[in-house]
Amino acid sequence: MSSTTVESTPSPRGAGNRAQRSGNGSSSGPGPSFPRVLNSEFIKFRTLLSMLILLGSTVVVMVGFGALSAWGTGQFSQAAAQDPEAGARFAAQGGDLAVGVPTSGIAFAQLILGSLGVLLMSSEFTTGMARSTFAAVPKRLPAFAAKLVVVVLSSFVITAASTLLAGFVSVPILDNYGLGLDLGSSQSVKLLVVNSIYVAAVAAIGMALGTLIRNSAGGIMSLVGLFFVAPIAFQLIPGDFFVEARKYLPGNTVEPLTAVEHVPNTLEVWQAGLVLGAWVVVPLLLAAILLKKRDV
Amino acid sequence: MIEARGLTKVYGDKTAVAGVNFTVEAGRVTGFLGPNGAGKSTTMRMIMGLDRPTSGSVTVNGSPLTGHAAPLRDVGALLDAKAVHTSRSAYNHLLAMAATHSIPKKRVHEVIEMTGLAEVARKKVGGFSLGMGQRLGIAAALLGNPQTVILDEPVNGLDPEGVVWVRNLVKYLASEGRTVFLSSHLMSEMAVTADHLIVIGRGKIIADAPIQEIITGKGQGRTRVRTDQPDRLMQLLAGTGISVEVRERELLEVTGLDPRQIATAALENHVMIYELTPLQASLEEAYMELTKDEVEYHSLITTGAVPVEAGGN
Repeated sequence: MSSTTVESTPSPRGAGNRAQRSGNGSSSGPGPSFPRVLNSEFIKFRTLLSMLILLGSTVVVMVGFGALSAWGTGQFSQAAAQDPEAGARFAAQGGDLAVGVPTSGIAFAQLILGSLGVLLMSSEFTTGMARSTFAAVPKRLPAFAAKLVVVVLSSFVITAASTLLAGFVSVPILDNYGLGLDLGSSQSVKLLVVNSIYVAAVAAIGMALGTLIRNSAGGIMSLVGLFFVAPIAFQLIPGDFFVEARKYLPGNTVEPLTAVEHVPNTLEVWQAGLVLGAWVVVPLLLAAILLKKRDV
Repeated sequence: MIEARGLTKVYGDKTAVAGVNFTVEAGRVTGFLGPNGAGKSTTMRMIMGLDRPTSGSVTVNGSPLTGHAAPLRDVGALLDAKAVHTSRSAYNHLLAMAATHSIPKKRVHEVIEMTGLAEVARKKVGGFSLGMGQRLGIAAALLGNPQTVILDEPVNGLDPEGVVWVRNLVKYLASEGRTVFLSSHLMSEMAVTADHLIVIGRGKIIADAPIQEIITGKGQGRTRVRTDQPDRLMQLLAGTGISVEVRERELLEVTGLDPRQIATAALENHVMIYELTPLQASLEEAYMELTKDEVEYHSLITTGAVPVEAGGN
């Protein structure tokens, strides 16, 4: 077979003019512009079954929790008047309990899509794919930015879509209990948009962690630590410092951002926006700088 | 053309590459030979811009890879057969790589055909054998039809047919005027593939010369002599810097004299010689000689290198 392979072997095109090319590093064809790198990252994203499974899981979790919450809210609505804690939550949504039903699975969506952010980058390093990626894009940052766009866009779209779907499923259930849910109301739209932005932000933080830690388990554990363990730990540690610090955790910025009226002991809306923004920008900047500097 | 100038890479307190200078010219196969841990892969990763040099520089066609407008079209590299996401299919891997440079799908199919991956192209790379992984790595390296091709240990894990295929492929690429830089720790493979050899040991360049020069230049010349008076001839040839070993009853191996000197001594003293064969050191022997002080991991038991007749191999 060897002798036949040689003839059919390399360079089907351009064998002749190859040698004539000047030796100054000039290339004969398009290079890795940002739209092309973005296209490549989208191909890489959609050709991984694990990514599609994570997106699918998000839809299932959001719709499932939406339906469950609709049922629970219906049951709860009767007793709500006597319960002070429920009353506070009531107040936070302008007295409308049903409006928060479609986004009740957000805590889990953020974990799934945050992990997606971690995995999309950490798997590059654990599998060795990074060597191929950054050999094709030696400047590295365009590939990082393209991946970020893929992570943020996919997380935002899937959260928004599954919130809407959860809404459609919840409306008839709530209706059974005589509770109205208007998916077109300004508060419904606000919850959908802010939560989707929030989840996209968590996914971006996840990607930053995946880039910094380069290890899937380590990255996901850090994410869980930040969003699930830290809020509880901060609550258990005595002292005013931790009570105050707890407000600045990224997971505690959603409530002030979506509340109709300011809830006591939470940040102001503008503060919450800045804090969440800082939680996204700082790790991403660190990740980008280190990605550029470190060996692949 | 690849040029390394004072190229150095230090990891912690370990110097992987110690200020090397070399040039890989276009139009020939340049072998990069060295024992494990000598710094071959590190050097190649630095060429590809994946590892940052601690000091010094390395350029491809005059500029570092980050300065190339279309890197995949200029330099193709197989650095590691496992530089692929294991859950993605070979086709999708190549498709994503191609997308970064708007390389058409047609070319993706071409390199798949060329490397004999057509049957497994839609399967996940995780299930690939090492040999198939190497073929995919070579397919990715050729994707942009690059002027410079860098292959790190390409024959690792390939079957004999694949080894011959790679050998012919790199020779063909070089014959087209491309720069071909190929690493291996297998001396025998280099002997039949490379035109020029750069030998590295413990991060330093030990030799940089045409392959023939390395074979003949190092390893001292020996001559095989058959005579019916071996004892007498041994006495005649004895001298400083000359060693004569008895191989068989009438067969001697002489080091330190060339065939003409042996024949002259025999003629003047009327000793009949019925064989006089110059022996060439094998590349393996030359390589052992070159790297004996430079190997990082010495084996406790060393086996003697076997000399090969001139013209052989």
